[in-house]
Amino acid sequence: MPEVFKAENVKAESEEIKKLLSGGFSGRSFGSCVPRPHRFRFEAQQDDETVLLLGRRHFVTNLRWIAMLCFAFVIPFVWGEFPFLKALDSNTLVSVTMLWYMALIFFGMQSFLMWFYNVYIITNERLVDVDFIGLLSKTVNVAQISRVEDVNYTQKGILASFFNYGDVIIQTASEQRTPDTAGEMSAFTFESVAFPDKVAGVISQLTEEAEKPWK
Amino acid sequence: MEIIPGVVISLSLIVGFMAKISMILFLILSIIMVRQESLMDKVVNLPIGKSLKILTWGYFLFSLFVTVIVLLV
Repeated sequence: MPEVFKAENVKAESEEIKKLLSGGFSGRSFGSCVPRPHRFRFEAQQDDETVLLLGRRHFVTNLRWIAMLCFAFVIPFVWGEFPFLKALDSNTLVSVTMLWYMALIFFGMQSFLMWFYNVYIITNERLVDVDFIGLLSKTVNVAQISRVEDVNYTQKGILASFFNYGDVIIQTASEQRTPDTAGEMSAFTFESVAFPDKVAGVISQLTEEAEKPWK
Repeated sequence: MEIIPGVVISLSLIVGFMAKISMILFLILSIIMVRQESLMDKVVNLPIGKSLKILTWGYFLFSLFVTVIVLLV
């Protein structure tokens, strides 16, 4: 039977979206906000789905644990000042020092992995929020763009204003509470994201386009 | 302090024993981290994921090496 009409599966990227994604974002793998990430896929990604934006918490939010690591790194150099440790023999002291550095490396790697893999993904069809909590639990929230109702963002504090990051809060039609939402405004709270104004703009534009499919 | 005949329990002995137990615990945690990293990489497949896998395996092997040395000494 001849093909009379074939629906186009892939939705073309609009000019507004192209314009929003073109400037200001960082394009590196470790970037906090990567537009159209190269060689990137996520679980349950559909074939006709294009990733528009991949983001994670701003790198500045890691400064706290990095500073703690730097401080903890030099503590073994002053082991001798602690009377309790002074009483230990040299073999035990070496064991304790090794344990200390093992724990530090573990803490650093774990903090880095948590930062690196806790991502939010904006595709042309959906919003995906991947939250890993500790080493043993994860929460993946997915919402269709068409079900987004409100998007707003907040920036609090000196660092957030200086480095331009903040929380993007997205309210969806079917608002649900998931285990990761404790203390968050919504299941879709993208915490401490870089360029929150632009991220909110992209989501608003996508929502607008989803509401007008004829456009 | 001698509770068991022939064994002198000192502060170093207690701390050393606790350090060894903690090292074994970190060894277990490091293998959990290796597993978790591969699961994270499955959920979010980034190009750098392979390097992170090598890094976590490296940490596991390092902690295994250190733990074995400390246990043997």
